[in-house]
Amino acid sequence: MSLQLVRIDDRLIHGQVVAVWLRTLSAKRIVIADDATARDEFLREVLTLAAPHGVPVEVLEVVEAAVRLIELAAVPEPVMVLVRSPRTVLRLRRAGVPIPVVDLGGLGAGPGRKRLHKTISVSPAELEELRELERLGTRVEIQIVADDRPIPLRALDQGS
Amino acid sequence: MLRRLGLVGAALVPLGLIAALAPATALAADVAPQTAAAVDTGKITVGPGQAALIALGYYLSNSPWLFGLAYFTLFRPLVAGFFVGLILGDPAQGTLVGAAINVPYLGFISAGGSYPSDVPFAGWVGTTIALAGGLDPASAVAVAIPLGLLGILIFYGRMAVDSIFAHWADHFAEKGDIGLVGLMNVLPSQIFLFLISFTPVFLLALNGPAYISDWLDQTPLWFSNGLVIAGGILPALGIALTMRFIFRGSAIPYFFLGFILFTFTGGSMSLVVIAAIGLALAYLHLAFTGAGEPMAAPAASAVPAAKAGKKPAAEPKVRLSRGDLLRSWATWTFFSHANYNYERLQGTGFAHAMTPIIRKLYTTPEEIRAALKRHLVFFNTEPNFGNVIHGTVIAMEEQRANGAAIDDDAINSVKSGLMGPLAGIGDSLSQSTIAPILLALGIGIAGSNASINIASGTGGIQDVPTLGSAAGNPLGAIVYIGLVSVLIVSIGYVAWMQGYLRGRSFVTDLLRSGAIDRVIVGAGVLGNLVLGALAAKFVMIYLAPTVDVAGAKLNIQASILDPIFPGALVLGTVMLVWWLLKKVNPLLILAGILAVSLVGAYPFFGPEKPRGNEAQDFYEACTSTLLHPWYPCGEPPPPEAP
Repeated sequence: MSLQLVRIDDRLIHGQVVAVWLRTLSAKRIVIADDATARDEFLREVLTLAAPHGVPVEVLEVVEAAVRLIELAAVPEPVMVLVRSPRTVLRLRRAGVPIPVVDLGGLGAGPGRKRLHKTISVSPAELEELRELERLGTRVEIQIVADDRPIPLRALDQGS
Repeated sequence: MLRRLGLVGAALVPLGLIAALAPATALAADVAPQTAAAVDTGKITVGPGQAALIALGYYLSNSPWLFGLAYFTLFRPLVAGFFVGLILGDPAQGTLVGAAINVPYLGFISAGGSYPSDVPFAGWVGTTIALAGGLDPASAVAVAIPLGLLGILIFYGRMAVDSIFAHWADHFAEKGDIGLVGLMNVLPSQIFLFLISFTPVFLLALNGPAYISDWLDQTPLWFSNGLVIAGGILPALGIALTMRFIFRGSAIPYFFLGFILFTFTGGSMSLVVIAAIGLALAYLHLAFTGAGEPMAAPAASAVPAAKAGKKPAAEPKVRLSRGDLLRSWATWTFFSHANYNYERLQGTGFAHAMTPIIRKLYTTPEEIRAALKRHLVFFNTEPNFGNVIHGTVIAMEEQRANGAAIDDDAINSVKSGLMGPLAGIGDSLSQSTIAPILLALGIGIAGSNASINIASGTGGIQDVPTLGSAAGNPLGAIVYIGLVSVLIVSIGYVAWMQGYLRGRSFVTDLLRSGAIDRVIVGAGVLGNLVLGALAAKFVMIYLAPTVDVAGAKLNIQASILDPIFPGALVLGTVMLVWWLLKKVNPLLILAGILAVSLVGAYPFFGPEKPRGNEAQDFYEACTSTLLHPWYPCGEPPPPEAP
């Protein structure tokens, strides 16, 4: 139960994450689950170095990340998990990672994407994936920074 | 969130303030009688010209016209207070009030479109109301904080509406019109921002002070004393919010050292001296702990892609000049946040910054259209350190224009891959290290002439007015503006040029060298020392209860706690708020502080007396049961001179 924050954020590590979330959660470790990023040696290094001193960053492909997260979920050390898309959370969930709640922290706008709240936009496919997560028992909440009150997806998604 | 803020704002903002939004003409008559009373109460009437200047200042503090420095200068109440003071004819007092209002916002950070409070609204309007209404700095803080919550509505409006203008930019990108894409980033959003910023602040500046001070005059005495008490405790919230960023690890002891240095010298040690000690300690700390040692480079370090693409074009067709780079950098530095919006954040700003580059590199309408559209997508990073991305992207565009095989995906992946991590580093550097530490220093200098903390005073009647009229030092604002501007512009310039020259390898080289870690750790040492001193200087809390010892009534704090550890109560309050922040939302803590202060000011055992002259008011304030607004309190007034 130490996966304190599983956050969907297409920018992965950035100011809100480093300057606000990490401090608030006092997370001691960041795990990034993303296939493309894990295969890019340069990005892997930048992300590792971008985290504050003393917070190790593990950048893993989703399949490896699932194994690692099941392991980390069992120990009390607080961990922050970052992914780029709802699909990844769904894959982790289906692989047996215990994710009671997922935070929708940042998903940029673009063609064909619907704005849910402030900086959060979703494609129809992503919305379906989020609904599937809720059906699997993972609460989906929007909380951009720690000082915001979490908004349940259900409050914004009339279609479900 | 919005609804909750609205509720808190509505509950806290005095009704008179909202009524002040009524048409100015109807209220002009109300302002006039205030002038008569101005002579003996220290109140000033704000004229329409002055109100317009103040409203303009507020607009400018969110505008792009100050070379991207508005957010680090006019945005901050310390600086706003200085300018409001200049406009109203008392820069020293303005700086002092601005400094006091700034303390609760020391830990303010806006990242990725989040915006906890409208800091400049609190700064510009709060200082105006305090100066014109003759409020002391502590009451000014209590009035300014709810204003900051009210002002968030302006930010929300702007973030929502500016998304529309991004679509206008899309329209002109489709037509390949470089100039109009740039114009869409600036003109519509700034007209809109000017209207929604200038109007409310103009009306509030013109009418608010009279309403607020009238309203305060009609409240019971314990209530206005409660505001003074709240103004003394609220700085603990700002200090605790800043502690979230720097009160960590091996830097923690320096916070206590700073507090003790200031308290045990009776508040006589200047913040500049404390900062100088902090610099020396930061050097020693780095030397002895070895923080930020260079990291060993991984064995097979990746060849930077930007360089890999450099070889093919033997004879480049188009080359960017230094002037092109500078124009692009200046455009970004001015206009990165001109059209900030929820949909794309800095997206149109990025495209605007690329316009000089696109104009030089591409000639066919298809190429221009494609390039404009490529850069109009969602983008957000820290706008100074993050400039490495722009430099790198410009180098890639140049190679592409010269025939290198760089596709849209390559450019997009640099932008989307780096904007997050660089924002993380950049925000840690600029918003949560450089700004709060320099502000703390500026605030310290601003208050250096003033005996805000009158614990060392003699407690006579004549000390009450000095709380309000103690002159601040405008140098605090000026030194802060100078230092922060030079640092921020330098970081932005170096990042931009190095990004262009060395591409992605600049990022990895810099991060591996440990230089950024050294800066952050060293600044943390300095910051903690100054922050500790600032806590001792600005946080004020005075207990009322006494105990009977051998027939004498001894104040618990003055006679028992302080002799053991001066300032123990202040330190305890700050630590309590810091701890609470881990559990509770800052807004709840804010409401809690106001509640505690008002309850603390209520005279449960004393008769509630009507307002009298200043000497009587001073004595009545001391009939409160739990907390006193100043210290020492409780001496009966001397007999009035015949």
